[in-house]
Amino acid sequence: MRILGIETSCDETALAVVDDGRAVLANLISSQAHLHERFGGVVPEVASRAHLENLNPLLDLALRESGTTLKDIDAIAVTVGPGLVGALLVGITAAKALAFALGLPLIGVHHLEGHIYANVLAHGAIEPPFVAFLVSGGHTMLVHAPEPFRYRILGQTLDDAAGEAFDKVARFLGLGFPGGPELDRLAMMGDPDAIRFPRAVTQRGYDFSLSGLKTAVVRHVTAERGRGREPALEDVAASFQEAVVEVQVDKTLAAARDTGVATIVLGGGVVANTRLRALMSTRAEQAGIRLFTPPPELCTDNGAMIACAGFYRLSRGDRTALDVGASPGLPLG
Amino acid sequence: MLVLGIETSTPQTSVALGSETGVVAASLLATGPASHELVVSEVARALDRAGMPRSALTAVSVGLGPGLFTGMRVGVAAAKAMAQGLGVPIVGFASLDLIAFSVRYCRRLICVAVDGKRKELFFAFYRPVPGGVTRTTEFEAAGPGRLVAELIARLEDILLVGNGTLVYRRELEEAGKHVEIASAAFGFPSATTLVELAIPRLQREDFDRLYDLRPNYVRKSDAEIAWDSRRRAD
Ligand SMILES: Nc1ncnc2c1ncn2[C@@H]1O[C@H](COP(=O)(O)OP(=O)(O)OP(=O)(O)O)[C@@H](O)[C@H]1O
Ligand SMILES: [Mg+2]
Repeated sequence: MRILGIETSCDETALAVVDDGRAVLANLISSQAHLHERFGGVVPEVASRAHLENLNPLLDLALRESGTTLKDIDAIAVTVGPGLVGALLVGITAAKALAFALGLPLIGVHHLEGHIYANVLAHGAIEPPFVAFLVSGGHTMLVHAPEPFRYRILGQTLDDAAGEAFDKVARFLGLGFPGGPELDRLAMMGDPDAIRFPRAVTQRGYDFSLSGLKTAVVRHVTAERGRGREPALEDVAASFQEAVVEVQVDKTLAAARDTGVATIVLGGGVVANTRLRALMSTRAEQAGIRLFTPPPELCTDNGAMIACAGFYRLSRGDRTALDVGASPGLPLG
Repeated sequence: MLVLGIETSTPQTSVALGSETGVVAASLLATGPASHELVVSEVARALDRAGMPRSALTAVSVGLGPGLFTGMRVGVAAAKAMAQGLGVPIVGFASLDLIAFSVRYCRRLICVAVDGKRKELFFAFYRPVPGGVTRTTEFEAAGPGRLVAELIARLEDILLVGNGTLVYRRELEEAGKHVEIASAAFGFPSATTLVELAIPRLQREDFDRLYDLRPNYVRKSDAEIAWDSRRRAD
């Protein structure tokens, strides 16, 4: 079954053609980062306008690259939430119109379920139960999946999502946008033990908080400069990253232990982070847990993960009606 | 020829199907944001009612605004994807032109003004000509005060039409006795007009390019406006 996946929930217009939830024939992403950079964050109206302009040419490109025509497509999968309502609406409306014009089934996909299924693209079907750690620009979330398509949220961020915190700290340090990858690169040259930033481990349960850490970074840099010293930014980056990642790994492993699962699945843009990948992999191995991590290029938003999740939803008989709307706050589960 | 019209740039969403011999099915919704979600299923319903398969569609005609940003995008996204999926040509029309066209038999200057939110209207002036109207100004986005000044400056009888008159009736009445405000029944662009206007363009193969067709926003996004004014201040 050949599925066209469409993702427009934030600032990437992404389209993919995927066979049977596994073979990625085309996976095109038109990043709008350059449009939003001067504003220091994603501007919803700017994002929505760009999605509309990108979609149709991107569809032709995706078809060409996958050696497919519209006649070969068997279903359309699209992100229906969560995300920016105006941005979602462009992708959803186009998906519905295409599904209708071509007489194909439509399947709406939860964006975070898409991030989970990025793993399936790379590793094949993953049997529940598992714990998923979803960490991206808008989410930091620990989820228990006791059976297929069932999700129970164990904990989430009380303030900034991890990607958001990476982006803000990167901006404060004068790095580019989006800041996560830049900070990751800078941190590779720094000493993670240079500065002992606070770990928010004292919080109960599986919730996360990064506002204290963010403030600590700002305070440290400002204090150093007040003393007439320019702090080594690579050390600040590495130490900040270490503080974020340590807590994330601790809590994810605790969640797996407490729910009694032997599988951990990672998803979301921040999973592209080299330190998170490395530490999670070491600690999972020590604990005898199977860890699934998408390749970095499938961590950030893409259409292939949506096509993949859509394939599994369709296979169990799910269908989405043509009057579906955008769900900016769609809960997972 | 079977043309699909989609118009979503005001709070009235409409779709219509028709040919050289007239409209064969149409539907109109004014249910707020939910009407955006119903555009595609309304197209399906209209085809059902007309007893036609979707493969009978030979072209898509879409309203490009100016108007409500989200609405325009829904209409244009639906129309473009429909045209691409069916492999048929697409034509776009300014939504204000549709309103002017629907009152073309009045022998007066026409001013079309639709509500643009943010305390602004989108407006333009038109003259009736044999067979239709011609627009004599660019589209402008401005508050009701500016529109009143434009109306006063013109020393001839004017028909003022568009859903902007529903929102700013009191202010606009200040313009004077030479301005008549048309009834709300004429105040919204309609997909049936889109079908009617599309036919001659389709007959002479005056299509729009799918990739280039986009809503007529007229106004930049708030973030861009703020950015521009900060730059000017620096
Ligand atoms: N190597 C990296 N290290 C840290 N953060 C990263 C890295 N690469 C990407 N990110 C962060 O990932 C985020 C983007 O992830 P993603 O595309 O999944 O987010 P989103 O779709 O905007 O949010 P959500 O999925 O919650 O709706 C950005 O905040 C970016 O900075
Ligand atoms: Mg994402």
